Amino acid sequence: MNLWKEFTKGLIAENPIFRLALSLCPALAVTSNVYNALGMGLTVMFVITCNNISVSIFRKVIHPKVRVPVYIISIATIVTVAMLVLEAFLPILFKELGIYLSLVVVFAIILARAEVFAAKNKVIPAMVDGLGMGAGFTIGMVSIGGIREIIGNGSFFGYQLLGSWYHPPLIVILAPGGFIVIGFIIGALNLYEKRKMERTTAGGKI
Amino acid sequence: MANPEHVNDSMFKITLNLTMAAFLSGLIIAVVYYFTAPIAEIQRVKMKEQSMKELIPDATSFAPIKGKEEWYRAEKDGKLLAYILLASEKGFDGHVKLLVGVNLDQEVIGYKVLSHKETPGLGDQAFKPKFADQFKGKRYQQLELVKIQEEGKITAITGATITSRAVTNGVRRSLVELEKYLNENK
Repeated sequence: MNLWKEFTKGLIAENPIFRLALSLCPALAVTSNVYNALGMGLTVMFVITCNNISVSIFRKVIHPKVRVPVYIISIATIVTVAMLVLEAFLPILFKELGIYLSLVVVFAIILARAEVFAAKNKVIPAMVDGLGMGAGFTIGMVSIGGIREIIGNGSFFGYQLLGSWYHPPLIVILAPGGFIVIGFIIGALNLYEKRKMERTTAGGKI
Repeated sequence: MANPEHVNDSMFKITLNLTMAAFLSGLIIAVVYYFTAPIAEIQRVKMKEQSMKELIPDATSFAPIKGKEEWYRAEKDGKLLAYILLASEKGFDGHVKLLVGVNLDQEVIGYKVLSHKETPGLGDQAFKPKFADQFKGKRYQQLELVKIQEEGKITAITGATITSRAVTNGVRRSLVELEKYLNENK
């Protein structure tokens, strides 16, 4: 089985943020520090996996003409259940993530995976695809969050790294900083792939 | 045309499909809510009590003040130690709700946030010690917000002036109301 491949493709090759360029909104809004970015990433990973499973189970009974509303209902149900459970059992986490949780319903990446993958595949591959995409999303969020927190606040995961001599440029934590950081990461990835491609073609000639 | 696709496309079937999905979703949420709602309520009360305990660690009981919403007397063995007041002020995004601890000299002991929607990483710093400690021991006349550090005043957080102002105003207003209340009920 190619399950491992289904999982790893979400990490780099089809990374939701840097490659598919989906769900850039949370990648901008929730990455001003690592803690929030990680929380959001894991939440999305959970929702995307559950939704892929549920869409895959019901894929034969969902009428194609109403599939998108049905997917949205499925996502909304999962998010609401997750919120209720978090509020009851992990109130501190709920307090931190409460603002973002309801936004998860409309994340493009979740709907996209339901439409592109889960609706056409069996339950197990759909689940693995969800896990991989979620992991890729989390990696993306944490790397953006890490860069922004270190540069914009001089700390990492809440621990102060740089001393008081460091005056952080506030712009990195504000919204424009998100655009700039994402732009640089996508640029770096493109450069890396271009180099890799050049090397393989050059190697082929010899 | 006798196309089998068309039979499947009947309005009734589509509607039924969507209705079933919505019904199923509602059912799941209702069942989960039925089980989690009471637990969530207990947690909310517990968290509020914990915030009050952190404000006034010596207090053994918190008695609600009559006629005032969410005001408490922090007591130890029946002796009044401090007041806890609910302050609600419009912040950068929605209302900021705080529990303010006030001692008998009407000086701020500290405050804890109950709920807020401020910007993560910027506005929420107003609930961290670095900003919150500035309020300690101040009376409402001293609660003045300045942008550049000044002795005896509250320095606003860079990039979160509106949140800083909301917290300062909220705390000050609750102190003013407390003084009024105490004068009326001597």
